[in-house]
Amino acid sequence: MDLQFTGDETRFRADVRAYLLAEMPERIREAVYAEKPLPRAWMVEAQQILNRAGYAVPHWPIAHGGRDWSAVKRAILAEEIDRNACPKPLAFNVALVGPVIAAFGSEEQKQRFLDPIANLDMWFCQGFSEPGAGSDLAALKTSAVRDGDAYRVNGQKIWTTYAHEADWIFCLVRTDTSGRKQQGISFLLIDLATPGIEIRPIRTIDGYHHVNEVFFDDVLVPAGNLVGEEGRGWDYAKYLLGQERTSMGNVGFSRRRLDRVRARAGETGQIMDPAFRRRLTLAEIELKALELTQMRVVAGAPERGVDPKTSILKIKGGELLQTAAGLLLETLGPVALTAGFPVTARDAEFHGLDDHSAILSAYFSSRKYSIFGGSNEIQRNILAKAVLGLGSAK
Amino acid sequence: MNFDLSEEQKLLAEAVGELFEAHATGTRDPAVEWRDYRDLGLLDLPFTAELGGPETLMLVMEAYGRTLARAPYLQSMLLAGRVLALSGAGEALAAVRAGDRQAALCLYEPGLRYRWDAPATVAVRGDAGWVLSGRKVAVLDAPGADLFLVPAATPDGLGLFLAAADTPGLARHPRPTPDGRHAADLSFDAVVLSPERRLQGAAGTRTVLAEAIDGAIAASCSEMVGAMERLLALTTEYLGVRTQFGVAIGSFQALQHRAADMLVAIEQARSMTIYAVSMLGARAEERSVAVAAAKALVNRAARFVGSEAIQLHGGMGLASEYPAGRYFQRLTVLETLLGDTDFLLDQVDQAGGVPA
Repeated sequence: MDLQFTGDETRFRADVRAYLLAEMPERIREAVYAEKPLPRAWMVEAQQILNRAGYAVPHWPIAHGGRDWSAVKRAILAEEIDRNACPKPLAFNVALVGPVIAAFGSEEQKQRFLDPIANLDMWFCQGFSEPGAGSDLAALKTSAVRDGDAYRVNGQKIWTTYAHEADWIFCLVRTDTSGRKQQGISFLLIDLATPGIEIRPIRTIDGYHHVNEVFFDDVLVPAGNLVGEEGRGWDYAKYLLGQERTSMGNVGFSRRRLDRVRARAGETGQIMDPAFRRRLTLAEIELKALELTQMRVVAGAPERGVDPKTSILKIKGGELLQTAAGLLLETLGPVALTAGFPVTARDAEFHGLDDHSAILSAYFSSRKYSIFGGSNEIQRNILAKAVLGLGSAK
Repeated sequence: MNFDLSEEQKLLAEAVGELFEAHATGTRDPAVEWRDYRDLGLLDLPFTAELGGPETLMLVMEAYGRTLARAPYLQSMLLAGRVLALSGAGEALAAVRAGDRQAALCLYEPGLRYRWDAPATVAVRGDAGWVLSGRKVAVLDAPGADLFLVPAATPDGLGLFLAAADTPGLARHPRPTPDGRHAADLSFDAVVLSPERRLQGAAGTRTVLAEAIDGAIAASCSEMVGAMERLLALTTEYLGVRTQFGVAIGSFQALQHRAADMLVAIEQARSMTIYAVSMLGARAEERSVAVAAAKALVNRAARFVGSEAIQLHGGMGLASEYPAGRYFQRLTVLETLLGDTDFLLDQVDQAGGVPA
């Protein structure tokens, strides 16, 4: 047992921090710190800066740009990226679709997709949720019917983050309706420029446009875009969810938010309010604990599959981001009332949000953390069943 | 960073676990149990660097918590023993390590809550040395102790005195604790102590006491984590066997989610305990903030996990012969020992928060 970071780990942290502070443009870090939505071009620029140093896809196979870094080091990297207000590498690319293609894709798919995915030259969004398939994802209905050398895709996806910015979408589609609902699902890569795709924005309560509905109307997708075998999409999706968990707890992000709360409350004298200070202190303590929980899950992760304790990170990490967003909002005081944002603003206007409006927007946005990627209720189901061994009624 | 146990730690944790489980189901003769602690090397453990160290003590105290052990290990070894070691009281320490004597640190006084460093108990110079007067309360394991360590105000600041239990003028008023252990209130009525009974560590009394108390706080966190872990296991076991409406109640999602939240709280408490243990070698200010923050979170987890466990057991949780209630009682004792949540959070607040 060695509860301290090794010299090597500490040096690694210092190297990462030095690189980020030297290479990431100040304007990007300022925007991230202020929690303003970034223009697409800035996100691409940021990921390419990370990728140059091997920071975008260290968990990938070495042949495709991965690094031989321990899970603890990768957790340190993720923490430093967040903590130093740098944009994280796009999760849909580096944490979700990339590892699936690397593990199950054809040689041709690997050559075609992996480098552009790592460098964000190709932007992927995720087509999993549907209006009737949220927590019960396997109930998805979007169909893909083989038609010569292509699949004919019909249906609808929803809550598709950045579909309006993306070049491609990776989808779970139903290729067979005969067996159990988990069977007959396939994993398909679809070029969003294909005719028959319509993307409609969903405005969210944070005033911004990040999520969309994506409609497929007789969309012809080359059969060569099927990843792995037909009908095994559910397995690949489970594999995907077990990928890079080193930043699941979002500890660097929460740290940045809570530090900002303490700084703002210090400037205004709010920190002298013992009730406010007490809540901030408690959040900081929970975060310190979560940092260690994150390291424990990471260091003890099984070679294959998902450590169900990852669900603890998801639950606690999301709750902490929400708590921190609430405290950050409270630093505005009565000004929060007038920190509104134009609910119909175009994205260009939104990128110019003032600091107060961005804080308010972040507060509303933070509700998503306990909903997306498997709601906290689903995470509790996982803990109850997989860790505590509690079963369903016979 | 590496959370794996060494071979030696594994072996020791296993042996300690077996011993404590045996004690929990045995005849509970305190003298026999204490001899077992000595024979396994546990009385030397806090004072030897090789096998000891805070990480190993963490394992011992977890096992202690899991089995609701009762021996005065925290009090006599980790608290009083540590103070003796840091104060250079070699002779008394040797007797304690040999298992011949047990010692207790008397920290609290009526009305002063957890403020041990501003005692109303006074020591004045007399013809034969020092004359000690005052009262101490809630001294865990005091009924079985042979030696008492007593902080008292002196003309030159905070002093620390070593008094044998049979010193004239020293009276014990035993009180049972709700978790099956024993404590006592003590009164000192012009107790005369020879000059060498005042302990003078090189570091100063306050520094010595703070270091020992911080170590004991980290140990108590480990004990709570061990107790909570076992209590959750008892609870999930109960949820699996208790049937109502024709099914095991553990199949109800409302109850599953409550159990899952207990697990989350325990894992966070365990992490914070590890953090506290990892900070025991840090500078005094950082160390004290770290252990205070840790016990604050572990205390909150203990209250939550304890009361949820009772609720999930239904009426059985209230039956004193069923173990769940006993774990809740132990957790409640530990929650109030060495600082309650508000006191500890206040300490963290005053230090400007937990260092990132």
